Amino acid sequence: MTEQICVGAIAGSYGVRGEVRLKSFCAIPEDIEAYSPLSNEDGTQSYTLVLVRAIKNGFTARVGGVETKEQADALKGLRLFAPRDRLPSLPDDEYYHTDLMGLEVYDTGGTLLGTVKTVQNHGASDLLEITVPGHSSTILLPFTLAAVPTVDLASGRIIADPPEGLF
Amino acid sequence: MSRSVWKGPFVDAYVLKKAEAARESGRNEVIKIWSRRSTILPQFVGLTFGVYNGQKHIPVNVSEDMIGQKFGEYSPTRTYYGHAADKKAKRK
Repeated sequence: MTEQICVGAIAGSYGVRGEVRLKSFCAIPEDIEAYSPLSNEDGTQSYTLVLVRAIKNGFTARVGGVETKEQADALKGLRLFAPRDRLPSLPDDEYYHTDLMGLEVYDTGGTLLGTVKTVQNHGASDLLEITVPGHSSTILLPFTLAAVPTVDLASGRIIADPPEGLF
Repeated sequence: MSRSVWKGPFVDAYVLKKAEAARESGRNEVIKIWSRRSTILPQFVGLTFGVYNGQKHIPVNVSEDMIGQKFGEYSPTRTYYGHAADKKAKRK
């Protein structure tokens, strides 16, 4: 089974005609419709989505098979997942956050530095947040060609050449 | 009211000293600074600063489009992770 990625959530019903309020977690919020049909967390249910209009904090949407407000109310809190292989492929040196998270980070000498926890961007370059074994705090490593010369998704490892004073 | 042009951009003196020393040494290092109020100058481009956010130093790679902004703008003091979903990271 392919990896499932959470791309949105249903915040509740909207109106009385079976529409739902949808929160999108995608980089371009409208893209959530392109990943439809989406599934629930355990993959037992499938939902087709059609966006109706943009509202504050999300969209209103129609979910396949949901015709009444009561049915829409029952979906409140549902997190929607898309299979990883439905995301479009990316050019070189561009990676999905979900692919980077969990990779092991080694230095150029082959010593394990830690594991990627999250990817952040505060306006400058992207940053890999790395959990270091034996430490409670995390380290932020700039995701640049100089600091991260190799990303090997197949073997699940990153080779890093961190600047002095970072670790 | 914006800052008067005749004063020039404000930068803490120690930031200038540290940046100059780092550039002369040519080493790949994070320049730790606490001055979030300092303006990013053209001579900082290409350097990596660790800007303090009250808890830790956030690495900030200075690029040309950041000139004129303040260091603090790139080192948030509150954490919000959000969802990864289909967000992308580009290696530059």
